[in-house]
Amino acid sequence: MINEETLTLYYYDDGLSAGERRAVAIALGDDAELAARYAALCRQLEQWREPDATKAPSHVVQRWHDSIDRAARAERVEPKKSGGPVHFMSFFWGAAITAALAIGVGIGVYFSADGSFDPPVDDLRVSVSADESMSIPASFTRGLQVYLQDSQSEIVGLSLDAGADRSLLVMQIIEQNRLFERTATMNNSPELARVLRAFEPILMRLASEDISPEDAAALRAQLAFELNVVLTKLARDTSYEAQTI
Amino acid sequence: MQVCTKLIFSLLVLMLVSTSFAQSDDASSADESEQLKIAALEALMSSPPDRALPLVTKVLAGDHSDEVKTRALFVLSQIDLPEAQNVLLETARNGSGDLRLEAIRMVGIGGNEEALAGLTAIYAGGDSDVKESVLHAYLIADDSNSVYEIAANATNDEEFETAVGILGVMGASEELRKLRDREGVSESLIHAYAMSGDFESLQALATDASNPERQMQAIQGLGIVGGDEVNAALLEIYRGSDSADVKDAALHGMMVADYDDGVLELFRASQDAGEKRELLRMLVMMDSDAALEIIDETLSGNQ
Repeated sequence: MINEETLTLYYYDDGLSAGERRAVAIALGDDAELAARYAALCRQLEQWREPDATKAPSHVVQRWHDSIDRAARAERVEPKKSGGPVHFMSFFWGAAITAALAIGVGIGVYFSADGSFDPPVDDLRVSVSADESMSIPASFTRGLQVYLQDSQSEIVGLSLDAGADRSLLVMQIIEQNRLFERTATMNNSPELARVLRAFEPILMRLASEDISPEDAAALRAQLAFELNVVLTKLARDTSYEAQTI
Repeated sequence: MQVCTKLIFSLLVLMLVSTSFAQSDDASSADESEQLKIAALEALMSSPPDRALPLVTKVLAGDHSDEVKTRALFVLSQIDLPEAQNVLLETARNGSGDLRLEAIRMVGIGGNEEALAGLTAIYAGGDSDVKESVLHAYLIADDSNSVYEIAANATNDEEFETAVGILGVMGASEELRKLRDREGVSESLIHAYAMSGDFESLQALATDASNPERQMQAIQGLGIVGGDEVNAALLEIYRGSDSADVKDAALHGMMVADYDDGVLELFRASQDAGEKRELLRMLVMMDSDAALEIIDETLSGNQ
């Protein structure tokens, strides 16, 4: 008996071995009732499919890389202030990257397939808002799961010795984290956006080169746990949705 | 799946009813026990929320380490039930030390409106760590209105600046403009405008010469925002001013905005040898490709 979850995986060409895919294909050809169920499932999934995100034009990609570079330069030239209660330069760095990545994320959503629609960058930034009537696209959930798994592996394998390598790696995770946070907001998933936002202060501290190995170990353990919990929840929700289709 | 869930429950119940793990005098055994509890909490997410909630609540109320309880708080934040948010808020109100700060963070992650509203009183009665945690929770929850209220009702400069900085990070331009109307312009507000990318507010301040210090800060803030309209504005400010400080700030802004084309344009248009030297130095600092070209031209006597 081929269940809905298997059919969903078959539809997305994801998670099935070549042999399993062949078995489903044969069953679909032999079993009219199964074929009807699959056709209904396809219709439903098609409705949820988001518009294809096209690759960003190179000049726009360059613009958002420039924004990140600007933030780095501003941080280098900004005179140091003493006594601030919050680590604003870290936030500042992050804010600049967020703005840049918001542009990047916006591109995938706003550019049509032929690249004809090229709104001003400011429009992209203010247009980042969730539409409550939309459901969460399955491709976003899968992409997020891959990101969380990769981040989890990288964090578990992270060196506890402070150094530029660790900082660089964690900063890369932060960049991706912000990207997914923005995407979660746009994909009608504020709860995921919140939890991804909450990872950032921990990642920022982990990126710092002046924390002790003990503190780094504690932060690493906390992040690994929280990433795993979110992954488990996502898997549970995905499994539940597949069963209720 | 059901078998797995049952196993998880069995493990958790075993863990919760037995304190023998924690009471072991063997350090490594105790550590293993901690890790087992944490693994059990993690696995709990695969079970239905209404079944997970009482177990997590029991962990919080039990005699467990702060680490285990901190993990339990995170699991609680991921349980989509109002009761879970109530437990978090209660811990944020009455918890102690780091556990209390974590609970505040989890209220932000949970995003429940009532629980977030409950943080206002916690902020008012809290020390600096608690206040900072509440602001971060609002940042996580993307609740700019609550941060605005804190800034608007701040009782001292430090509180105001911290809240304004958070608004800048949140890109809350509207709230920052409201604060300017209400409180007047301050350095922290200008920084926040730069962080939030508010070109209009910065441009207005950058062209207002009534307060030179504020004007310089705004010009440099423009550089942080960057983009074509900022480049044009910086060129205009440079050309339109006779003040060496304003020109210097505009150049600095162009450097931050990586606008070497603008500096090159100014270099080529300038008839003043001293100014040309400054502009050439800036191009070199910016590592501009044009710098070598100009140096070559200068040495050849074409400039």
